[in-house]
Amino acid sequence: MTILYLILSILPIVAGVIIKVMYVPVSDGISITGAHVFFTIDLPLGGLPVSEAQVNSWLVLISLFFFCKFLTHDLKTRNISVRQVIAEWLVKSVEGLVRSNMGEFFMGFGHYIAAIMGLSACSSLLTLVGLFPPTSDINIVGGWAIMTFILITYYKFKAGPWIYIRSFGEPVPFLAPLNIIGEVATPISMAFRHYGNVLSGSIISVLIAALLTNVSKLIFGALPGILGDFPFLRVGLPAVLSVYFDLFSGCLQAFIFAMLTMLYVSGGFPEDEYFKRKRLKEAKKNNNSQVIKNTNGGI
Amino acid sequence: MNNLDIISVNIWQILISLLNLVILFLILKRFLFKPVKKMLAQREAEITGEYEKAAKANDEANELKASWEDRMQTAEQKADEIIREAADKAERRNEVMLYESREKAESIIRKAKAEAERDKADAKEYIRKEIIDVSEAMSEQVLGREINMDDHRDLIDSFIDNLESGV
Repeated sequence: MTILYLILSILPIVAGVIIKVMYVPVSDGISITGAHVFFTIDLPLGGLPVSEAQVNSWLVLISLFFFCKFLTHDLKTRNISVRQVIAEWLVKSVEGLVRSNMGEFFMGFGHYIAAIMGLSACSSLLTLVGLFPPTSDINIVGGWAIMTFILITYYKFKAGPWIYIRSFGEPVPFLAPLNIIGEVATPISMAFRHYGNVLSGSIISVLIAALLTNVSKLIFGALPGILGDFPFLRVGLPAVLSVYFDLFSGCLQAFIFAMLTMLYVSGGFPEDEYFKRKRLKEAKKNNNSQVIKNTNGGI
Repeated sequence: MNNLDIISVNIWQILISLLNLVILFLILKRFLFKPVKKMLAQREAEITGEYEKAAKANDEANELKASWEDRMQTAEQKADEIIREAADKAERRNEVMLYESREKAESIIRKAKAEAERDKADAKEYIRKEIIDVSEAMSEQVLGREINMDDHRDLIDSFIDNLESGV
């Protein structure tokens, strides 16, 4: 059963590779384009192109779902397995991160942060098996950034709309336009930071691969037959660079995205005003009930 | 053109990726965090239970120890008592035996004395008889005639009695 879950969590990635091999035409030479579009669903506002990025992110979703099932299958309180150690470590480390960055009030954010980290890291790491990383599509990362923006605004609104509006007039009222621009810039900068990092990584990989092909043609071109065409220099070096651009950069960007989400949400939340307002509301409620009691008593 | 441009904004794609994030959020919440946290809470409860059990067992052991120590002390006291009692009994018995043996010895002595007395009396009688016989014979010889035996005997008897009282 456990093995089945593991296989099911790997299967979507294999399916992704198969889909890519079967449907995506191989491009030769240097071609830097976006995701391959399989087909387009007719919808208003330009239609929905079902692209590699979309399909791959769905595959990541399915894979992560089964991976969760795999980790949390058959949990025990003692004599725990390695799977369970990993599951506990994941949960505890994410919660520790949220606690240290956002405080006890935001402990419910653990799931969201874990979701961002998992989705982002796994999407970026898809390049390791040669798939198109969904994070190098601006739409994907943009969606996450908008979700974060919604959360930021929601928590800013928690202390009441007046405090939300007033927060734009700080420290001096005439800076309000700048504050508004800053507010809108937050999700855009987050999206572009992540998207740009992953995309630039793959662009640099393509460029270096092309460069190495040409250089090796220059050096080994004199060799007879197929040996002359074989790009010898492309054998080792791109792998080393891939460790940085795919593995390190992918994980780091996931971490940065999650970190920024935590900082923006907890930083934008007017804690003092929120608790003051809460207290006031409670006091008012108590007063009202007392008044009602008093009138009742009078009658 | 089968590929998207490098930067192509599409509202539906954004929406779908947003929903993907929310779905993954729900998946993680339901299938990773919830079971793990439930298990952690369960483990904590179990550990607390174990600690409580251990404390209880410790208390019980201490109680038992105290009771055993108590019992040991009473046992020691009891042993002392038993020893003392035994010693008393032995002493009493000793005294009784001593008394009995003394009694026995005394009775033996008394018996011996009585026997000696009796022997003495027997001897006296014998001697008297002898004396009488001898004196009878002697007086027969001296007087040359037979005297009245009975008179004679009385005479000697009175003589011996006088002798005895005189002594």
